[in-house]
Amino acid sequence: MDLRCSGNRIVVSGKYITLLDRFVMDFVRTLERETPYVVVSGFVAILFGRSRGTEDVDVLIPRLEPEDFAAVHEVLRRGGFGFLSEDDEADDLYAMLAANRAIRIARTDEFIPNIEMKFARDEVDRFVLRDRVDIELPGGSIFISPIPIQIAYNLYLGGRKDIEDALYLWEIFRDDLDSGAMNAALAQFGVRGDEYGIGI
Amino acid sequence: MELEFDRVSHRNERLAFVRRYAAWVKRVPNEEWSRQQGALIDSFIENTRNMPLTCREYLDRVADRRQDLR
Repeated sequence: MDLRCSGNRIVVSGKYITLLDRFVMDFVRTLERETPYVVVSGFVAILFGRSRGTEDVDVLIPRLEPEDFAAVHEVLRRGGFGFLSEDDEADDLYAMLAANRAIRIARTDEFIPNIEMKFARDEVDRFVLRDRVDIELPGGSIFISPIPIQIAYNLYLGGRKDIEDALYLWEIFRDDLDSGAMNAALAQFGVRGDEYGIGI
Repeated sequence: MELEFDRVSHRNERLAFVRRYAAWVKRVPNEEWSRQQGALIDSFIENTRNMPLTCREYLDRVADRRQDLR
């Protein structure tokens, strides 16, 4: 694997772009016309080669005002995306987001793969939005959560798939991670990685 | 007791596989690991397009899965 890491930017040259990558790249290119975003959770491990599929990709955006969300709704609709909800008008979807619920978005008339989008809800969400990492791929780029946070968060979730994603990211990035940032992330979530050999 | 042993053993095997697979990904060029991973992911996505589900049924399934996890 050839990764060129510098600051909050990682270049992944020569990567084959999967149908899932293409979907996410098309979505975020449309979304970022109206709002910053960050892709979190399982897709992060998949982006760096984890051998598993997923049907949904988690995306966080800042808490928006209703009129700003209406602009997001419009740009996505015009960009060929639809909302997987019986109530798919902007104000109905905004009410869901404002109640800390996720909304799902797919290409018009499809439902897999889809984006599960939420407003940033807490300090960690706001941190990953602020310190997001730009992944440069052939044909586009995607902002993802910082790797140490993603590893610690997966350990915190604790499901089988989550632990395996954490271990995978650790194995891929262990030589590039800043020990202070990794330890701070583990402490922030109150988790330890020793059992899996994760940690510096 | 035997079931517990199997569970732990199975988990350790899976974690060992993750480590071996990550080591292979790090060894080979991006073109190689991503081509093989792409075959898996693309076929998964293509197959989902043949699922005889409506959007409503899909969302109900997702909700059921979430309920099971709680």
